[in-house]
Amino acid sequence: MIPEPVRALLFYLCAGLALAGGCWVAFARNIVHSAFALLATFAGVAGLYAFLSADFLAVVQLMIYVGGVLVLILFALMLTSRIEEARVSNPTIGLVPGAVVLIAVSALLVYACVKEFGGTTDLPPGEPTTAGIGDALLSRYVLPFEVISVLLLAVLLGAVTIAGGRLRKPAPGGKPGKERP
Amino acid sequence: MLPDLAGLRGGAAILPELVLTGTVFAVLVLDLALRRSARRGRVLLLVTCLGLAAAATAIAGVSAGAQPLFYGMLVADGFALFVKGVVIAAAVVGAILAALSPEIRRDQLGEYLILLVCLTLGMCLLAGARNLLMLYLALELVSLPSYILAGFRHGDRRSSEAALKYVVFGAAASGLMLFGFSLLYGLAGTLDLPGIGAAVVARGLQGGLDAQLLVVVAVLLSLAGFAYKVAAVPFHMWCPDVYEGAPTPFVAFLSVAPKAAGFAALLRFFLSGFGAPLGFPAPGEFPWPFVLGVLAMATMTVGNLAAITQDNVKRLLAYSSIAHAGYLLMAVAVGSPLAIRGVLLYLPIYLLMNMGAFLVVMAVHDATGSETVDGFRGLGARAPYLAVVMAVFLFSLTGIPPLAGFIGKFFLFAAALQTKSMFFYAVAVVGVVNSVISLYYYARIVRACFLEKPADAQAPVRVGSPAAALLGALAVPTLVLGIWWGPLLGVVEKALLLPR
Repeated sequence: MIPEPVRALLFYLCAGLALAGGCWVAFARNIVHSAFALLATFAGVAGLYAFLSADFLAVVQLMIYVGGVLVLILFALMLTSRIEEARVSNPTIGLVPGAVVLIAVSALLVYACVKEFGGTTDLPPGEPTTAGIGDALLSRYVLPFEVISVLLLAVLLGAVTIAGGRLRKPAPGGKPGKERP
Repeated sequence: MLPDLAGLRGGAAILPELVLTGTVFAVLVLDLALRRSARRGRVLLLVTCLGLAAAATAIAGVSAGAQPLFYGMLVADGFALFVKGVVIAAAVVGAILAALSPEIRRDQLGEYLILLVCLTLGMCLLAGARNLLMLYLALELVSLPSYILAGFRHGDRRSSEAALKYVVFGAAASGLMLFGFSLLYGLAGTLDLPGIGAAVVARGLQGGLDAQLLVVVAVLLSLAGFAYKVAAVPFHMWCPDVYEGAPTPFVAFLSVAPKAAGFAALLRFFLSGFGAPLGFPAPGEFPWPFVLGVLAMATMTVGNLAAITQDNVKRLLAYSSIAHAGYLLMAVAVGSPLAIRGVLLYLPIYLLMNMGAFLVVMAVHDATGSETVDGFRGLGARAPYLAVVMAVFLFSLTGIPPLAGFIGKFFLFAAALQTKSMFFYAVAVVGVVNSVISLYYYARIVRACFLEKPADAQAPVRVGSPAAALLGALAVPTLVLGIWWGPLLGVVEKALLLPR
């Protein structure tokens, strides 16, 4: 068992990592910097999952988001031609109204959440959750699980359509294209 | 140990969804198998329409009941089945429009139809979702194919821009809604709408601002997702740009079907999750009718005022569809049985007149290359049939008797007046003033058709016979339902008869 002060330190480290990473993603002028800052956010969130005894979710977060999504984003950025333009396409506009909205909304949210969920609760015991998740996916959540598969099929097909549409010759002026041989 | 499998019973109630999934795979395989066939487009359209018709038949066969299915994920009550019928009808019209339009390339028709059926499947699930997780998934199954279809004219800058704007707005709205859902889950400890409703009502009875504050914040955040789907203020900004840039056959579908499914989900969210909001809140109740009523007033006013200055007909119809979302929101705010009946009655009528208007816009654009009001000048002489049915659709959208749109609006306003509260009287007055404003811009198009001379050569505008037949199939019910709405009202009342 980890002693309490170390736990608290680790928690604030993870939370701070997620928060600082998020700020950096939003405020960095260079989109490549934003993408790398996302790494810190994902890692911090994975740490928070681990604190909530969601061991499976924490590992999945690292594998899917850091290992998959982030790498994909970086690839997309690196392979984009004219990446120089992306640097100036990230300007900060409407700073004052944005700040006012940010402060007002976050004050409201923090107040409401602290008021509601403020008290201390015991952390759930650190038991493995994988078996429970497996049971839930094949019983209670079987329908959403299946719907996700249809959603992924649609998205896969859409991605192929978008990419394939660029490879084929675009029909001039939206006129009917020829049948492919 | 085996998990409890009792919740898996009732699979017959999702037969329409299963048929739609089967249609997706059938079209996908046929699209590949018929790559070299000259009849590919026609076969794919036929299979899609047959699949949709089979799903509609399956809906008629489902015995409506309020019992939850699949561990409370879905419910197949009369309300959900009716909305499913409407969105499948819209999908049939949308598929035929896509096949008629030169904007969708023949070699990509299969992909278009597959995504259209996926979208329809998402809307069917949305209409029956009674669990926040299912609701969110269904909403994404509607949104993601929509983004792709909005950008379906590859290489067209406006179409790509429309798709990108749609994605960015959609992601922001989804994020807000998920945040709201997570707060609701934290409050209630369950994702089932009735469970959340019970927790929220219990909290309302505690009284005090602090106990209610987080509920109000969570529901307002959740509202963002619905408002985005039905294009209500303040999440309407994507609407004109997407309608202008996206292919017209998709816009015709987008303006009707996701709106219908979005309103179904919104109604269920408020009525099943939060108890019927009727009249002004008593102490200890939440101010939902007030919030939704204010949103309704803002939505119809913004939509109608912005529509006045539009020259592009697709943009004009985009603002008009925002305004119509406002009228429907008014009824959702009232939330009485009469109001729900009004919403259900309005959806098929709105399908007829709005898809009809877009079909005319498509025909005029294909013949003249123009999407502006000026392009309609002299249409009465160049294509009398098109001009007359366009007038029918536009006057019906305004809500002029004896057209179907009048009956639809009549029930919405009657529901607001029936509450006998000063607030809803005010909302209804705003709605009537807005209807008068809308007459101005709808009549502008009709005036261009019949009273103005075309600027350029008077080439007659030709309409193919399939398009003409489809226009007739949309226009005749628009006329008939205005005089003889009894049967449709009967279907709606039968759908609502069962306890929800």
